[in-house]
Amino acid sequence: MDHQIYILVVEDELEVMDALVNDLEQFEKFFPVESANSAEEARNVVNEIYNAGNEVGLILCDHVMPGQNGVDFLIELEKYLDQHSAKKVLVTGQAGLEDTIQAINNAHLDYYIAKPWTKELLEDVVIAQLTNFVMQRHYNPMQFMMILDSVRLSEYMRTNHITDH
Amino acid sequence: MAKGFKNRKEILQFIKQAIVESNDLQKLLTTFKKGDVLFKQGDPISHLYLLIEGTVNLSHRRDDGSNLELITLSPGHFVGLVAFTTGNNSVTTCITAENTIALCFKQDEFDQYLTANPKLQVPVQQLMLSNMSDRFLKNVQLESKMNALNKQLEDEGVQLKEAFEQLENSHQKMVAQEKMATLGELVAGFAHEVNNPAAALLRSSEMLKDNFMDSENATAKTEIFKLGLVSKPLSSSDIRSRMLTIQKEYPWVKERSVVRKLAQMPEEALKIINKKKKKIPVETLVQQFEAGKFIHNIQVASERIANLVKSLKSYSRQDRNVSDMIDIRDGINDTILILSNRLKYLNLELDLLDIPQTCGKMGELNQVWTNILVNACDVLPHGGSLKIRTRSEGDYKILVEISDNGPGIPETVLPKIFEPNFTTKNQGAKFGLGLGLAISNEIVRQHGGFIKVSNNENGGASFQIILPVKEC
Repeated sequence: MDHQIYILVVEDELEVMDALVNDLEQFEKFFPVESANSAEEARNVVNEIYNAGNEVGLILCDHVMPGQNGVDFLIELEKYLDQHSAKKVLVTGQAGLEDTIQAINNAHLDYYIAKPWTKELLEDVVIAQLTNFVMQRHYNPMQFMMILDSVRLSEYMRTNHITDH
Repeated sequence: MAKGFKNRKEILQFIKQAIVESNDLQKLLTTFKKGDVLFKQGDPISHLYLLIEGTVNLSHRRDDGSNLELITLSPGHFVGLVAFTTGNNSVTTCITAENTIALCFKQDEFDQYLTANPKLQVPVQQLMLSNMSDRFLKNVQLESKMNALNKQLEDEGVQLKEAFEQLENSHQKMVAQEKMATLGELVAGFAHEVNNPAAALLRSSEMLKDNFMDSENATAKTEIFKLGLVSKPLSSSDIRSRMLTIQKEYPWVKERSVVRKLAQMPEEALKIINKKKKKIPVETLVQQFEAGKFIHNIQVASERIANLVKSLKSYSRQDRNVSDMIDIRDGINDTILILSNRLKYLNLELDLLDIPQTCGKMGELNQVWTNILVNACDVLPHGGSLKIRTRSEGDYKILVEISDNGPGIPETVLPKIFEPNFTTKNQGAKFGLGLGLAISNEIVRQHGGFIKVSNNENGGASFQIILPVKEC
């Protein structure tokens, strides 16, 4: 595959961002990780990624940040990324019910992880979401068998008559 | 010849004279002893009585059995007049109050008497009319009195209702304050509980750090570990640009995650890696650096927890009934720290000029700042700015001003804003009874100050809290 699928981490507290990125280390060979400390920076990073001919497969986003909050950012992004179906996950301790409902309804939020997270949960969610992404974008699943959900990918290959060439 | 009588007394005189002159009339005189019953309520009356001497009491028994004393009639009054004229049964009971003499006219023979004694006709008529008009007047008086009493009752009813409402409000305020007190106790209790492990955490992480820093071992691994111990995290944009540089300078490093880690290392650390790259794998040294970095992160996080706990304890000072000389700015800073997550996405501008200490209860005043700041956060859900200012006003007053650039407060709402149970928040408010500002107002007033609310010229609302400078 010629272009890269990125994982984007949006978090303003540097230590927390560090921890999240560290937990994603095993995915980096297949899905490079980028980070941003604010919604505004995230927007720029997303633009750079797409301008370089790559795409964003998964966004892990905090909610309470200076400037635009995570939910508003994801809702805005939804309009922009409409046809690109990047998976959106909120990682936060502080989104109230109303904000979360907004994110679900208007940003098609795919998952919500409450802080503090465990590495196991984070990995499971990332694998599941990126598996969904890869299937929805009709990428050849073979290249991701080692890192994503091989059971679902195999099933997908079977039902779509994809052969491993 | 009809003669006009001036009053009942004259008529009575005339009749008394007539009695003396007439045997028939004398036959009609009856003497009653005190306590004699002339007629009872509900009975038909056979006689019409005209009192010549003595007095009688009229009373009426009510449905519930209680007795109502109506009137005492004196000489010159007819008794049994209503029953006589209407033919109905008596509505009253008549009992003599003393020895009494009365002319007792048999009802069916009344006309005969008058014909036999024509000069009695006019006086008797007049007397009857006078009696009737007396009764009518009395009725009017009673109606008027009843009306006045009713009005009084109504007014008292209204007062009672108001008093009850005030009581309800006070009760609710008390309940809310109880809740706050309980919550305050929980918070203070929690702060004390967490204080110990937080202190242990802080001390241990610092000692761990010092332990390694003091190590005399001068190997590359130890050196790079020590550098990790003092490293500072980089912003994502800095990491991004550094990664580009690292990729150029270390083209043999293929793993992106390793590139990122190198990008976060200071020049000194990179020098060590370069120097040892033939002997020690990059990943090993990077791992050492990371170990140092993690310990540093632990120490930084412990410090943050310890500070929060300290502020929480200070914020929730439970010695409610003890006033102390305080610098209000300390409480404001504690409050801001405690609320830092809620305030994070706002532009917070602090202008805390020097103010003198004053006598007050820090825990209570902190409630006031918290209440106003949280309200401001609620009206700025998508961001905005918040200004907190303190300054002296002359020698004797302190001004604390909290203003936002939100939608402001509608003019219709402004006068009601400190009323208990007044809220513009919907059912979503978890703890709210609409009492926050009411309680805040009361706290400030108990400190001898007052709160002023106004809308800013260029949008948003401003809360000005004025407090007196005084000794404890």
